[in-house]
Parts: sequence; structure tokens; C-alpha cells
Amino acid sequence: MHELTGRRPRRSRLRALPWLARPVIRTMPWATLLTGCLAGTVFLAIQAHVARNSSWQLQQGNVRLALLPAVAALAFVPGAAFRPLTLTTPIPSWVAPAGQLLLASPVLAATCWVQLRVMNYTIPTHALGHAPAVYSLIAQFTGWCSVTVAAAVCVDRSRYADLGGAVAVPVSLGAIAAAWNIPASASVLVGPPATAHGVTTAWYAIAAAALALTGAAMRDHWHRYGRTAPRGFALRTPRSAAR
Amino acid sequence: MTTLRFRTVLGLGWVEASLLIRNLLVLAGLLGGGGLVWLIIDQTVPLWWNVSWWIGAGQLILGMAVLIAAQLAAGRPQRAGLADLYASFPASAATRTAGHVAGLTGVVPASLLLAGAASAVVQARGAIGAPDAVVLAGGVLLVIAAGAAGVAIGARLSHPLAGVLFALALFLSSGAYQVLSRAAIWLVPWNIMVNQLDVLPGPLAGYPPAGAHALELAGFAVLAAIVALAVTVRGARARAGLAAAGIAAVAVICFAGALQLRPIPTAGVNRLVSEVADPASVQRCTAAGQVRYCLYPGFGSELASLRAPVRDVLARLPAPPGPVLTIRQVVPLSMSDWTLTHGQPSSDVSRWGTQVENAPANAAAAPKATIYLPVGSWPAAGGQLADANFDLALATAEWAVGIPPQNSGSPAFQPCVPVGQAREAIAIWLAILATRPSADKLHDGLNTGMGGGSTGAGVGNTIVQTWSYPGMGRDYVMAPGGGPQTTAAGYALASAMTSLPQHQISRVLTAAWGKWLNWHTPDTLLARALGIPTPRLRPFLSAPSGGAPAASSAAQSPLCTS
Repeated sequence: MHELTGRRPRRSRLRALPWLARPVIRTMPWATLLTGCLAGTVFLAIQAHVARNSSWQLQQGNVRLALLPAVAALAFVPGAAFRPLTLTTPIPSWVAPAGQLLLASPVLAATCWVQLRVMNYTIPTHALGHAPAVYSLIAQFTGWCSVTVAAAVCVDRSRYADLGGAVAVPVSLGAIAAAWNIPASASVLVGPPATAHGVTTAWYAIAAAALALTGAAMRDHWHRYGRTAPRGFALRTPRSAAR
Repeated sequence: MTTLRFRTVLGLGWVEASLLIRNLLVLAGLLGGGGLVWLIIDQTVPLWWNVSWWIGAGQLILGMAVLIAAQLAAGRPQRAGLADLYASFPASAATRTAGHVAGLTGVVPASLLLAGAASAVVQARGAIGAPDAVVLAGGVLLVIAAGAAGVAIGARLSHPLAGVLFALALFLSSGAYQVLSRAAIWLVPWNIMVNQLDVLPGPLAGYPPAGAHALELAGFAVLAAIVALAVTVRGARARAGLAAAGIAAVAVICFAGALQLRPIPTAGVNRLVSEVADPASVQRCTAAGQVRYCLYPGFGSELASLRAPVRDVLARLPAPPGPVLTIRQVVPLSMSDWTLTHGQPSSDVSRWGTQVENAPANAAAAPKATIYLPVGSWPAAGGQLADANFDLALATAEWAVGIPPQNSGSPAFQPCVPVGQAREAIAIWLAILATRPSADKLHDGLNTGMGGGSTGAGVGNTIVQTWSYPGMGRDYVMAPGGGPQTTAAGYALASAMTSLPQHQISRVLTAAWGKWLNWHTPDTLLARALGIPTPRLRPFLSAPSGGAPAASSAAQSPLCTS
């Protein structure tokens, strides 16, 4: 009702946040997120086991591939359940998905950390030279996650909302694959040819833009129906009412 | 009753097929698969024995999308919380699952469209060889098998992430060469990481084992459909029938797997190795003036593309060069590829390895009047073809002016640097006139170092700024040791020469052609003879004050002295 009567007082929003924590945690799709994170990590662990026995080393490319399931799982996190209902509550409807994304962040960070440790496990301690810097990989992972979240949130605001993650994953992974393979974008987003510093800057810029898009989409209140409702469906204004 | 059920399955299959063929994911997968195939065929003149397999890689992308779409369709009742409502329908869950499996016929047109369109584009781009129908059919079976797997997954796991994860697993399996060694890599749905199809001079029987792989995929499709039905069917008799069918499908898969694990016929590998080690024994040579073009059978269509830059360089020479130039295709084959040699006696593998090591593509020393072209690297069109033409023109011009492809003295077989030599500028000028690349592209070769900086080579006690010509490092033209290293000074003088009338330069060159070919003749003398100032380059690296020049920071290369 507050949604219909005007702006909510900022202080009341803040006061409500502690009360929201429990339902946000409980409605968080933990199983989905953890399945995605574990799937990639197990895949990498198997590779690491084979690598140790075969005297070769995992590369950052292996970690990138192993991070894809976690990115895919993230697409199912920001889905706003019962959105028409939550729009009528005093708390903005974007708070719950935003909170769930915040909860997902440490899980994803831990996944990335574990996978980098798994990669290091295959590198002999007496190996010559420095291991490649991981900051560009972390930037890429952040960018991938942000693009995926933006895609998921945008799909959530379309008529395919019930398939949010399932549509967002192919879209975002396809976009990432295209960016990786099209020479014009690869020269900026993939190193080499781009420098690690350039790759990092580019992916954080993409992440910032994607987060801005995510914020705008989350705060969007309007439903969208891309297709005319079937004849006789309740959403269509009855002729008698029109008269 | 059975007829009624069959008609119900057909009806449901028709509905599901129409939904599947209009599914946005499937259409996106079709686009993605087509895009992947285009990325491959856009780079070089397509070889059918390679491209047929890559069209299958495009089908893999489509298959991933179909897997997700089929899983979403099959998991629809559970995901929407309508399982109880669906259970009240006259059609049983097993009938609906059979409808989903029948609905996979909806993706066959998409798969055929991908294969057909890709084949048409490949043929239009002048593909060499003939399409392999079995490999192409294998790609279609891959899509159907992925869809059947999606139905089986959706029948049990309704969450959309399940389909996504299995699709990712399907993709990651294509590169599982690190886990599956030797021929076992062919057992994954579609191996796209380990093969040398792109460098073969012709198809090799059993590489890849296409027929057996298609059989394996058909077995997987049937097995997945059986699993999907087994999850939903009720009744011991039906389950027993499905179990028997499942055992038969597993048997077919095992049989197909065993066929794929067989070694490639020894006669085929023997023939391939002899073609690689002694190309002259099979190649067809075409003489054109002072040049012989020796190409593998079937590659004759590349001849016209090769002749143009060579002819245009030779036409501008003041005097014909002495010996005949041979432009020969070579195969950069690696016998350490276990997909090629698995199951063969070690004595044979060792013998083949020795033969291939001594092949022209791998030999350290190259005949002076020969230019090598690696099979599978010549571009079909566009900017890459322009770069390749420049590379070939430059190699021809360097041969014509006598710059050796590698150092003949000590250290032997290393690329040399024609520092300050007039003949280098002449060679670059000839190549520019023959192929007319854009000035920007040529100039970009001065800034190919890190962060757009310059690159250099150490020669003696100095560091010489180098120039990367268009297409350098792409292996369009192969010289053992990498060929001579072009310098920035040579390019700068050649660039200045292009601004002069051609007849003026020809007159100067013709007057003392022998002198200009001598490696002792400096580029400053040529500039003076042409009446142009010696181009000045911006400082590259300065020697530390009071110390020796910083030549040690760059790789040392010998001076071209022959």
C-alpha cells in the first residue's frame, strides 16, 4: 500500500533491515549457489589430481573454466519471488535480491580463492619464476558475475521472469564467449594481447556498468507483458467494463 | 489402447517440437554454433576434412542450448508446482516423457540448417576436398543426444540450473584431453581440442573415427531416452523392456567406443608420414617463369592466389635472379600427438618421428631458393589474405635480392638481421609495390612492442629497432629459424622510396643492380643515389653513459652476410 501512497521514510527502511535479514537468508537459493560453486571446484580438483600425477600444471585458463558453473549459479540468485506482492510492502522490492547478492559475494570469493589454491597445488614449490598475477583473473570473474547478474535481473523484469536464470546464463555466457573471440573486444578484454593491467581495468569498467544496469532494473517497478493476453483473460479489459 | 497412446505421443511430440523449434534458447544456440563455425572458416582456406569436424563443434553449441531447452520443457510440471495437476491428466507421465522425446524431432531442422548453411558457406569460400557426410551426420546426432539427455535430466531434476550445469559439462568435456589420454579423447561427445586435422594435406581414414563416433552418439541418444522413460514409466513389464533396451544401448555404446579406440590403420599413417617427409613425391609442381609452385593434390585452387604477389615482385626486378625459386607446401605435423599414433608399435612411432623431424617443415636448414607454405594456413579472403600476400611477396623479394632466410655462418640456422643494407629496403619496396598494403598497417609494424612500444634485436654491440611486417608471426609463409628479421630503418627507406616515381627508382637500380645486391652496400648510399634524405628514426635505446650499449637486453642475432 505504501508503494501506492508515496515515498517511504528512509529511517523506517533502515529500521526494517535487521528484520529482513532472516527471511533474506532463508529464501536465499543456497543449494543452487553451492551446487554451482562445488561443481566447478570438483571439476578443477579432478583436473588437479590428474595434473599432479601426470606432471603438468593447471593454468589460469583451467580456473576460468571451472568458475563458469559458479557464474551460472549466480544467475539464479537475484530472482525476486512474489514480486507483485513485495511491491506492496513498505520495504522496496529490490532489497531482498540485493541482500541475496550480498550474501552470495563471500561464497563466490571463497570459491575463487579455493580454486586458485587448487591451481597452486599443481605448481611445484621449487618451480622457477613467478606465478602469473591473479588480479586480472579476479577482475574477469567479477566482470562475468556482474554481467550475469545484470542479465538475470533484466530477464526477471521481462515476461520470461520465471526462467530468469535459465535464460540469463546462456545470454551472459554467450556474451562473454563473443567478447573473448571477437578480435576487436579480445584485444581489450583478453590478455595477451591486452596487458594484465588493461584487462583488469576493462573488466572492472564492465562490472561497474553492469552493476549500474542491475540497480536500474531492480528499482524498476513496472510489469511488462510482451504478448497480448489471451482472449477472455482477466488482464484484458472486458468490453462491458469499457462501455 | 496402444494405438491411442501412440497417437497421444505423436500429438504431444508435435506440440513439443513446435515449441522447441521456436525456443529462443535453441535459436540462440543456432546463432552461436553458426558463429563458432564462421570463426573457424573465416581464417583460412577451408579444408573439408577439418571443417566437417568443426561444423560438429558448432552443433555442440546448438546441442548445449537444446539440452537446456529440453530440460526446461521436461521439468515444467515439477518446476511450476503442477505435478499433481498433470498427474490428473489422461496422459500418463511416461506418455508425456515419450512426447518430449518425440518432440526432439523439432531440433533436427535447426541442426540440418546449421550443417547445410555452414556447408554452403564453406563450399562458397573455395573449400578443398569433399564434405564428410558421416561426420556431418554425427553432428546432427550430437544435437539429438543432447536433447534426449536434457529430457532425462528434466524428468528427474526440474531446477533450471541442472540443465545449465549439464550443458557446461558437455562443453567442458570437449576439452578434457588432460583427463582422457590417447584415443579415449574421441569418446567425449565432440573433441575439439586435440587433433591435427587443420594441417593434414588430405583426409586420413580413421582420423577422426567418424562412423564409430556417430554410432556412439546414437547409442547415447537412445540410452538417454530410455533413462527418461524409465524415470517416469510405471509397471514392471515396461521397466523390464526398458532395461533390456538400455542394456542393448550400452552394448552399442561400448562397441562404438571399442571401435574408436582402435589404432589408425598403419598404411594410412605410413602414407601421411611419407607425404610429410617427402612432399616432392606426391606434390604437383607448376612452373611459371622462374618459379615452381609445388602443391599437394587438391590444393590447385590456391595457385592463382599464390602467383599474383610473386609475379608482381619478379616483374619489377631489373634483372632476373639466377636459380629457379620453388614455392612448396609443407605440413607442420607433430608425431607426439597420441590421437594419431596410439596403439601403434613403438618402433613404427619412432621411425615416423625421425622421418617427420627431417621433413622440410621441421628441418633446421632450408634450401636457399625455396619458400615454404604450411598447409592449412593460407587465408581465403579479406585482410588476412592481403597480409599473406605481403608475406609471400616479401619472401620472394628477399630471395630475389639475396637476403638469406637464415645465417649460414656461425651461429648456424639462426635468423639474421640485414642491418643498414640497401638490399633490405629494396626487398620491402618491391613487396609494397606488389601488394599495396595500407600505409597505416605498414607503419603499425614499428609499434608492436609492449604498450605500443618498439621492438629491437641485438646485433653485435648495438640494438637495432625492428619492424614487424603485416602478417608477421602468422605462419602464412614459413622459413626455418623464422626468416630474416626486418629492420625499422629498412622499412623507413622503403616507405620513402614509394613516394618516388617507379621509373626513377628502376633506373637507379638497373644502373648498378649487382652493387645493390651486395650486402656491403649501405642503405645510406641507396638513399643518396635516389636523391632522398636517409630517414631518421626516433631514438630507440641509448647506451648508458660511460658504459657499453645495452645490447645484452635483447636477443642476439647474427648479421646477414651472404
